[in-house]
Amino acid sequence: MDPKLFLTASVICIFASVAMWMLVKANTRAAKGIAAIVGIAAFLGLLSNVGMSQIESTQKPEVFFYLFSLIAIACSVMMITSAKPVYSALYFVMVVLSSASLFLLLQAEFMAFALIIVYAGAILITYMFVLMLAQQASDPEMEQEQAEYDVNPREPAAACIVGFVMLTLLSSMIFQSMSDMPTPPSASDSRIAAWQTFDSMLGSKQEIAFVQRVIPAENAGWNGVHDDDGNLIRFEGDEAYIQIAQGEETLRVVLEDRFAPSNVELVGFDLIAKFPVSLELAGVILLMAMFGAVILARRQIELSEDEVREAAGMARISFEALEPDSNGGESP
Amino acid sequence: MMHLLAQTDSFGSVELGHYLMTSSVLFVIGLIGFLTRRNMIVMFLCTELMFQAAAIAMIAFSRFHHDLSGQVFVIFILTIAAAEAALALSLVVLLYRRKETLSAEAWSELRET
Repeated sequence: MDPKLFLTASVICIFASVAMWMLVKANTRAAKGIAAIVGIAAFLGLLSNVGMSQIESTQKPEVFFYLFSLIAIACSVMMITSAKPVYSALYFVMVVLSSASLFLLLQAEFMAFALIIVYAGAILITYMFVLMLAQQASDPEMEQEQAEYDVNPREPAAACIVGFVMLTLLSSMIFQSMSDMPTPPSASDSRIAAWQTFDSMLGSKQEIAFVQRVIPAENAGWNGVHDDDGNLIRFEGDEAYIQIAQGEETLRVVLEDRFAPSNVELVGFDLIAKFPVSLELAGVILLMAMFGAVILARRQIELSEDEVREAAGMARISFEALEPDSNGGESP
Repeated sequence: MMHLLAQTDSFGSVELGHYLMTSSVLFVIGLIGFLTRRNMIVMFLCTELMFQAAAIAMIAFSRFHHDLSGQVFVIFILTIAAAEAALALSLVVLLYRRKETLSAEAWSELRET
């Protein structure tokens, strides 16, 4: 490992973890402010070191990336430092929203919205319900007071050292491998990749329908021609096109962008074509989680033998049943 | 630290490393939160934060390698996170009913010795 990069990584990570430690431990507003500034500076330092590899790029500065990643990290720090669990959950919603925005920047539209629906909409609401359930104070005087275990952190210094070691390792690995990482994909690269995936997902029936959809109206009924590798869609420079033929005549049709496959189609195809068994397993896991939650969270009710028989629609057997007062079991 | 200042123009383009760095910082924050918080529900929220960090890394890899399997993996991460939330929260409800507290240390007698 390059010692200079490792040194840089560890110096910045020391700052970051000291800031984290101050945030976890501090009680005054001023100390929290200083810690927040040091923390943000350290994070920007980490990000600026990532850019050390000299990659030519004509892209505009991506302000939104910095905006959303700063929001995500600031909100996650607020989440783990806030003394009220409900606020923690709300800050986590902010983290989810800003990382969904990062997904949008990465052109993963489907996952961005699925993340908002599943995380912010379903999982976080479950957390909120349990929090509300658990926070019903048993006596009203306790209601305004913060629980002791929410105010005082457990071993903040040790946790920050663990975090420091982990972050130093991760960041120096990232700095070091920057030159091997793929360059940012250009718009035409990702379009060509999308068309290539789309080509592999076309069956013979869909192919006919697709060809009829994209060709000009006067050529209706012409057939698509495959190239030597069996691909329907061919590329020239940035352009995707198909060859169509009828009899001896051939014609070249450029594919317009409005026919390009959407992110949802591509992800759906990838999910079904490459991971069918995992998809089934995911369904089974969800079902088992549902059973588990129902079984764990129900209230345990002791029923006597007679009551069980009664619930099953059978006759009572014991003599005790004739005298209701002497019945040993609790009534439901 | 000098080359840090010389690199200010490197804020220009966002590369895979930037996303990985964001994701690792989020992961470490989740880890620190898991270790420092003593409220069981907040501890589980911190594991969700770590899932979130993993998902960002997956999506970034998927974009920069033109491979949609990364996005498909995030679907599975969401599934596991949902299943984990359901089970963990029902366990928390169960534990809360026994001791009327959410503190994880109330259960420290479960350890050996």
